[in-house]
Amino acid sequence: MIQAAGLTKRYGEKTAVDDVSFTVRPGVVTGFLGPNGAGKSTTMRMIVGLDRPTAGTVTVNGAPYARHRAPLGEVGSLLDARAVHPGRSARDHLLAQARTHGLGRRRVEEVIESTGLGPVARRRAGTFSLGMGQRLGIASALLGDPRTLILDEPVNGLDPEGVLWVRTLLRGLAAEGRTVLLSSHLMSEMALTADHLVVLGRGRVIADAPLAEIVARAQTATVRVRTPMTAELERELRRRPGVGVTSVERDVLDVTGCTAPEVVAAAATVGVAVHELAPVRTSLEDAYLRLTADAVEYRSTPVPGAPAPGRASLGGSR
Amino acid sequence: MTTPATSASATSASATSAPAGPTTLGPAGSATSAPAGPTTLAPAAPGPAAPAPGGPAAGPASTPSRLVPVRPATFGRLVAAEWTKLRSLRSSWWVLGVGLLFLPALAASRMTSIAQVPEAVGSPGLVGAVYVTSGVVLSQLAFCTLGVLAVTGEYGTGQIRSTLAAAPARVPALGAKLVVTVGAVAAASLAGVALAWAAGAAWFDATGMSVDLARAEDARIVLGVPLYLAAVTALAFGIGTIVRSSAGGITIVLGLLLVVENGLAAIPWGPVQTFVTYLPSSAGSRLLQSEAVGSVITTSSSTALSPWGGYGVLLVWVVVVLAVAGVLLRRRDA
Repeated sequence: MIQAAGLTKRYGEKTAVDDVSFTVRPGVVTGFLGPNGAGKSTTMRMIVGLDRPTAGTVTVNGAPYARHRAPLGEVGSLLDARAVHPGRSARDHLLAQARTHGLGRRRVEEVIESTGLGPVARRRAGTFSLGMGQRLGIASALLGDPRTLILDEPVNGLDPEGVLWVRTLLRGLAAEGRTVLLSSHLMSEMALTADHLVVLGRGRVIADAPLAEIVARAQTATVRVRTPMTAELERELRRRPGVGVTSVERDVLDVTGCTAPEVVAAAATVGVAVHELAPVRTSLEDAYLRLTADAVEYRSTPVPGAPAPGRASLGGSR
Repeated sequence: MTTPATSASATSASATSAPAGPTTLGPAGSATSAPAGPTTLAPAAPGPAAPAPGGPAAGPASTPSRLVPVRPATFGRLVAAEWTKLRSLRSSWWVLGVGLLFLPALAASRMTSIAQVPEAVGSPGLVGAVYVTSGVVLSQLAFCTLGVLAVTGEYGTGQIRSTLAAAPARVPALGAKLVVTVGAVAAASLAGVALAWAAGAAWFDATGMSVDLARAEDARIVLGVPLYLAAVTALAFGIGTIVRSSAGGITIVLGLLLVVENGLAAIPWGPVQTFVTYLPSSAGSRLLQSEAVGSVITTSSSTALSPWGGYGVLLVWVVVVLAVAGVLLRRRDA
């Protein structure tokens, strides 16, 4: 359980985190979303006591992080894949972390085994690929068998198998009753992993709700229809009140304001063949982009002359 | 911008078969391709005949059972961890080794050069303890570098975040690191002095010098070397903690030892001379001065401070700098 109340962090004039309050509950995976610069990382650093809040408090499992006598048993954190001295081997890094809490080589070998670091455990961490560095960071977070996990971009740089492994691991940990706070810019991955979302924008909480609810809120009733006779169908549909039609491709229309059966009925009226008919689902990415549209601090602007960034996938860019 | 679900079934949650590649799995829960048993954090026995681990058996949404024997992060455990960190870096051994070997190397070098000047043999300035320990001038540079890097190496690499995550009270972690760093330097310099003595002994007859711990001054100088080196290492450690940058810390420490103190000592004006007497290295090296030849560390020849008084002044510097370092460590964002 993580509870933030009025958490604020200012760096001089700039307010990175502005009066943020939320609760991360055990038993579910909570996704932590927001554009770059929204304050996610700063908030996570305050949770584990690396940054001191300008105002407000945050507790983990009922107490401020620094009050726990065995903090690694309470919270495992991966805030930065490179929180490791590059000259030290993965095994020695984990052993040093383990020793602080009276854990020994056996526990180190367990986490090396379970994170797939075995073949490289003797190598110096500075030689690791991004993905191996992430696995080492996750291994370090798991060392103390913590009740709460805080992971900032854990799948960044992992191969597809690693991404699947992290998803399975985190869902399993949450199912055991642990608290999992996860940040990622990969919306498709977040949609598969998280149950609940906390969304930050410009240092404030702009959404705190179950994932399904956030997606449903952004849902628009749109039906996509493929037909060789778009003009006839469009003319017929537009006669009905409240119906909107947009042309997607030469033979594809998006229809709002009526249901799929009503589209079929309209097509039958004018004798138009329908080759394909499907409701259009809003993805988490769509919902997220709509939610944070006003809160994006570093936006890429289209270059004149370059192709318009039609369905450019912001979420997948990292 | 919306995404069409190409079939009327319209599911999005399980639609991504992409991650798993060719070996597409069914529902995500039963994935087995990952490097190990997926959900359990604590595979109680990684061996073959492992029974079903206790994790999930506790039932969902209950407090996870404690399979990993985590203990409080006491000071002793932090010291053990810092020792693991020190010994697992190759650079630690390099710097300690160089600092150690300067002592016998310089002892042998100084003794051979004296042995080549037969008319000097027997002069009162030839104090065996001073010549045997003359490598301390160079050793201090190596050990101070270690003292700075012990802290700044963590800031430069991000390791500090792991360190402070395990010891969020921060000051105990700094103390544990100080104990280990200074302890390692004390051990290395003690070994270095012993080697230097052994190396110098080869020329004792040829130069008419000797070292005898029964003589108060010899004992003070020979045992003072590890004490002096430990103290300046602690000073460098504190400065490193304050500046948090390897380049900055090493520049300040070596600049202080090599340039500032010697430069000021060369100014033949009374008030400056008195001031220099109280600077860390000049004061501390009183412990290593012979009444007959002065000190090898600094050109200052003031005897305003007694040997132990001078060392006391160095310790005051160390305590003040470490106190500032501790306060800043607690206050600043890591």
